[in-house]
Amino acid sequence: MTTIAQTGMKATNPLVPEPATVTEVIVETGNIRTVRMRFDDPATMEDFTFLPGQIGQLGILGAGESTFAISSPPSQKEYFQFSVMKTGVVTSAIHELSAGDCVSVRAPMGCAFPTDDWKGRNIIVAGGGIGMAPLRSLFMYLLDHRDDYGELMLVYGARMPEDLCFEADRLAWEQRDDMKFISTIDNVCSGWDGCVGLVPSILEEEAPPPDNAVAITCGPPIMIKFTLQSLDRMGFREEQIYTTLERRMKCGIGLCGRCNVGAKYVCTDGPVFSLADLRELPDEL
Amino acid sequence: MRFLAVEKIDALLEALARSSSLWVPTVTEDSAGTVIFEAWEPGTAPVLDRFTTLSAKELLLPASEKIFSFAYNLSEGEESIEIEPSSREGGTTIFGTRACDAKAITVLDALFLQAPGEAYGDEQYRSRRLDLTVLTIACTTCDAACFCSSFENGPAEKAGSDVFLYPVEGGWLAEAITDRGRELTGGEPFADSGLEPPGLAVTRTVDIAGLQEKLLEIFSNIDFWQEATVKCLSCGYCTYTCPTCYCFNIFDEMRSDREGERLRGWDACMFSLYTRETSGHNPRPTIAHRYRNRINHKFSYYPANQGETLCTGCGRCIRGCPVGLDIRDVLAGVKEL
Amino acid sequence: MTDLAAAIDRILESADFVLGWGRDEETGVAEPARFHSTEESVSAVLDSTCVHNLAVHLPRLKDRTVGIVAKSCDVRSVAQLIVEGEVDRGRVKVIGVTCAAGMLDVKAIWRRFGYGARIDDPGDILTVGGQQFDRSEYLMGKCRDCAGAEPVIHDELVEMPGPAPDPARGVPGESKHAPAGGATTLQQKFEAMPAVERRAFWREQFSRCIRCYACREACPMCFCRDVCTMQTTEPHWAGGETNARESEMVQHVRVNHLAGRCTGCGECERACPVGIPLMLLLSEQNRIIEEMFDYRAGTDLKAKPPLLTFDIKNDSWGGG
Repeated sequence: MTTIAQTGMKATNPLVPEPATVTEVIVETGNIRTVRMRFDDPATMEDFTFLPGQIGQLGILGAGESTFAISSPPSQKEYFQFSVMKTGVVTSAIHELSAGDCVSVRAPMGCAFPTDDWKGRNIIVAGGGIGMAPLRSLFMYLLDHRDDYGELMLVYGARMPEDLCFEADRLAWEQRDDMKFISTIDNVCSGWDGCVGLVPSILEEEAPPPDNAVAITCGPPIMIKFTLQSLDRMGFREEQIYTTLERRMKCGIGLCGRCNVGAKYVCTDGPVFSLADLRELPDEL
Repeated sequence: MRFLAVEKIDALLEALARSSSLWVPTVTEDSAGTVIFEAWEPGTAPVLDRFTTLSAKELLLPASEKIFSFAYNLSEGEESIEIEPSSREGGTTIFGTRACDAKAITVLDALFLQAPGEAYGDEQYRSRRLDLTVLTIACTTCDAACFCSSFENGPAEKAGSDVFLYPVEGGWLAEAITDRGRELTGGEPFADSGLEPPGLAVTRTVDIAGLQEKLLEIFSNIDFWQEATVKCLSCGYCTYTCPTCYCFNIFDEMRSDREGERLRGWDACMFSLYTRETSGHNPRPTIAHRYRNRINHKFSYYPANQGETLCTGCGRCIRGCPVGLDIRDVLAGVKEL
Repeated sequence: MTDLAAAIDRILESADFVLGWGRDEETGVAEPARFHSTEESVSAVLDSTCVHNLAVHLPRLKDRTVGIVAKSCDVRSVAQLIVEGEVDRGRVKVIGVTCAAGMLDVKAIWRRFGYGARIDDPGDILTVGGQQFDRSEYLMGKCRDCAGAEPVIHDELVEMPGPAPDPARGVPGESKHAPAGGATTLQQKFEAMPAVERRAFWREQFSRCIRCYACREACPMCFCRDVCTMQTTEPHWAGGETNARESEMVQHVRVNHLAGRCTGCGECERACPVGIPLMLLLSEQNRIIEEMFDYRAGTDLKAKPPLLTFDIKNDSWGGG
């Protein structure tokens, strides 16, 4: 299993969160909102660092906590953000938040993308829907350290135009000439003159070569399944492909026993795994 | 070794209760003979002639406990939250565990006492654990559900105990295992003794050699696990009475419209809600999947990660299972495959 | 081939497998088992350690056609599941067992003689560990009052080995088959308690509850399982913390949800790790339901459960 660098929480009791205040809420899609926040304690906010791919437990005291990828890049010091899809009790409460509201945060947790190992290589990022959340953090990190990496490609797809997140970022990425950005939707739709096609198909059409390359994919299980098949056809080996796993989480620090896949915990050994790592796990994905 | 006369046990318990909260096995009326650790009160005679129904783990990992309390405050139109972590004072003494229970504590230590910096430890467990005294009754007899002899030292396991008490004529021979044990047994009400300790029981055994790898080898054979669990009710008896099962849930409870608590409490991997995601998707949809994970956790993953088997052969799961599921049969079945 | 094996064999012609009991070789008592073939059916057993109510498995097997060996009390659970539409009568083949002498409280016997002590119960004198007992001393609580009726539904009928029933036993409400030596049962002690004492009694009992939900999982009628109201986060009816007050409420909700549905099989009490006498609550409720509505769950496939049916013309308060 690849060793992946990890920064962690420094609290005395890592089950006790830090209070934070919402600075901004962005409505990304019909069921996804980005919540930006700052820790209430200035020293905590000052000291807060993380690496792309790491997760946090965002909570509403009284409703509970839930696990989300940090979707802002580490270079953003004014705030950090989680992009949240509304699915249950906690996420519904998160969707009621507005600027000035109080939340609880335990972050960062988990293993980050091994961006140091990827230096000098070409990076292909393929995201679908809410899967773009950790990938946004990753991609913006790569852009912050542009010279450390080779070719950068980002393919981001969703069912329909209104399901695509991060509008402002997409516009910025389209303008850049030091990266290739393709946003795509599943089917032809009036008002959309961009790419049409499923993420795996677009990826195969673009055919980035596997030599000295790394591919990262996150999104709905069905998209991941087909993207992995495409990457295989394109000649990518298991050690070159990375993804993130999701499991129901509670403690986030490898103690409550819940989020394991085999002997690995998604909260501490993941959520980032290479395909080679996943193949070593028992068959209960 | 030192000797504690039967008549002196009250004096010992009184002395122990003076410096920490003392827990002893008790049986309550109209409880179908349930023996559990309760806070000792003067006049309580500990029940030492049979196994406790629940283990001593609840004194390190309570069935539910507060992590922190919180309050929403509104001041000058601005909302803020206050978080107050739970704290506790005072030590704990457990009198009347068995070797399997005491060993189980050290098995849990391997995870919960991980050093900060290397991995996350558990602060609330640590605060209870670092001021814990354990007096264990040595097993000179056992029953057909016990299988601690399957593990290294069996009934002679001293790890986790401060004092090891061997039942003899008129009282107990006391062997001090730790400095704390030496401190406790050094003076009254313990006296000198030239007696030799009695022989300890030998329990049934199950061969656990090679299980760690074998379990992974047969992992995809879900038919085996389905066969093994046809009678299982997924009732939680085994996980809740087990001294090494530690999985917990975290949940919030509001006490008023402004104040509340975040608590944690016992959970079980055998429950289907354990891994069920909000979408309804459950990576372990059937009892067979969950039981496979339970056995793998105990005999494969925990040994791989923490270097200890997550079982000490106490037999509670066998003794109490409403449908007579015997973990030893399952393990033997794994080895035979 | 025994009558039982032959019955299982016949049922296997139209069922995927038959739920019944086998013998646990190590302890000598019966354990739940599945029989898929004639070869397997010869190892099916029936004796006074067949205490388990196998009907609990039926809701999980809705998509299969299965056979079930069931004592009269278990058959009531099967019948109630059918009445509630949870189980399809056409998909469950019942091998009914008339049980004359009642089931033994194996846990109580092993508490005294050690786990796995060999039990010899031909049905009149019970022998354990070389000592002999009047078997009434170790009879399951629910069996004391049982009149030993024939299973209300059956596709096959076999008899539990053992002597004919004691005529003094089990006329409900009249004679109770008391344990030998005139010892008071907990039921009798409880019935004699004034209300204020009962309050303290239950607070003490539920202080042991560890919220394991074994009572729910062992109950054939608690087929809500995952979506049990006592574990939902929204709405959040029950707090998750383990204390007597919360545990008492959870159990009272469970008991209430079983009003008119509980068949008195006692599995909840048998499964409880900390020995809470849950049947005291349920027996009392069952008695009240019978008094008020002349209804006993699982005794009549055609009867409408009084608390599950609402006749808009006759049951509404303002008049049809």
